[in-house]
Amino acid sequence: MLVSSLFSVIGSGIAMGLGSIGSAVGEGMIAMSAVDSLGRQPKASPKILRIMIIAQAVTETAAIFALVISLLLLFQAGTDSLFKGVTYLSAGLAIGLGTIGAGLGAGLPGAAAMKGIGKQPKNSDVLTVHMIIGQAVTQTSTIFALTVSLILIMLAPDGGLLKMAACLGAGLAMGFGAVGPGIGDGLVARFANLGVARDPRNMGLLTRTMIIGQAITETTDIYAMVVSLILIFVI
Amino acid sequence: MEMITGEQLIKALALLAAGLSMGLGAVGPGIGEGFVGGKACESIGRRPDEANLITKTMIIGQAISETTGIYALVVALILIFVV
Repeated sequence: MLVSSLFSVIGSGIAMGLGSIGSAVGEGMIAMSAVDSLGRQPKASPKILRIMIIAQAVTETAAIFALVISLLLLFQAGTDSLFKGVTYLSAGLAIGLGTIGAGLGAGLPGAAAMKGIGKQPKNSDVLTVHMIIGQAVTQTSTIFALTVSLILIMLAPDGGLLKMAACLGAGLAMGFGAVGPGIGDGLVARFANLGVARDPRNMGLLTRTMIIGQAITETTDIYAMVVSLILIFVI
Repeated sequence: MEMITGEQLIKALALLAAGLSMGLGAVGPGIGEGFVGGKACESIGRRPDEANLITKTMIIGQAISETTGIYALVVALILIFVV
């Protein structure tokens, strides 16, 4: 009994510990870029501060998802089944690893938008809209990870060795699978934001290209989700 | 606890390996496609007239970067259903 409740506590720790890495680094990049812009355009400081806080709030979502799962796992700590314990551990792995990419990825377009505002404060409205679209698409990989980890917590099968290995595999597939697409989406949004900062008249064209690019980048994430759903429901 | 046969152990490890294969296999293509898409957006920001050519090249480049992700998916599905 002790060992099985240990697993869900470890899962909770992994979820929050790994889950805060990406968001923290991403918010740091935004703040760094904002401070740089403040040095360049001290007169625009209220605008820069406001947009910095919006960008950091969107970047924070990934860590908040990790916090929710981490608390849910702490409430499950009383389980007395080894199989359920391992499923909770894999739910923690899925959301913990899955938020690293989206946190970092949401930081990249935020930093690019802050840089653009530092160069030309009058473009700030256009840049904010474009930044939020880019960051919102970047968050999809975390939402997939959140879905898989909620499914793992709610179902928590109490079956034999095969089911346990399948659930652990599903957590690892979704967790690692969300890292790359998260960072990749962020890179696409970053360069699109820099393009808008250079010439806001190209915004329509750049938003279109950015969304096509991000959708294609997201495919590997969808493969990872399909594999983890097969592992959960078919096995 | 009941006895675990060798066959069950192999199947269980194959399922775990399927998860690792797809998970780690998705990291590289994700970042690589991000680079392609990002640089395409940067070039469109610089030369908006060439947008069609750049978008076409971006999609081809991303499709080729995607192949290793598809290999990982195929290996994961073989590990799940065949082994």
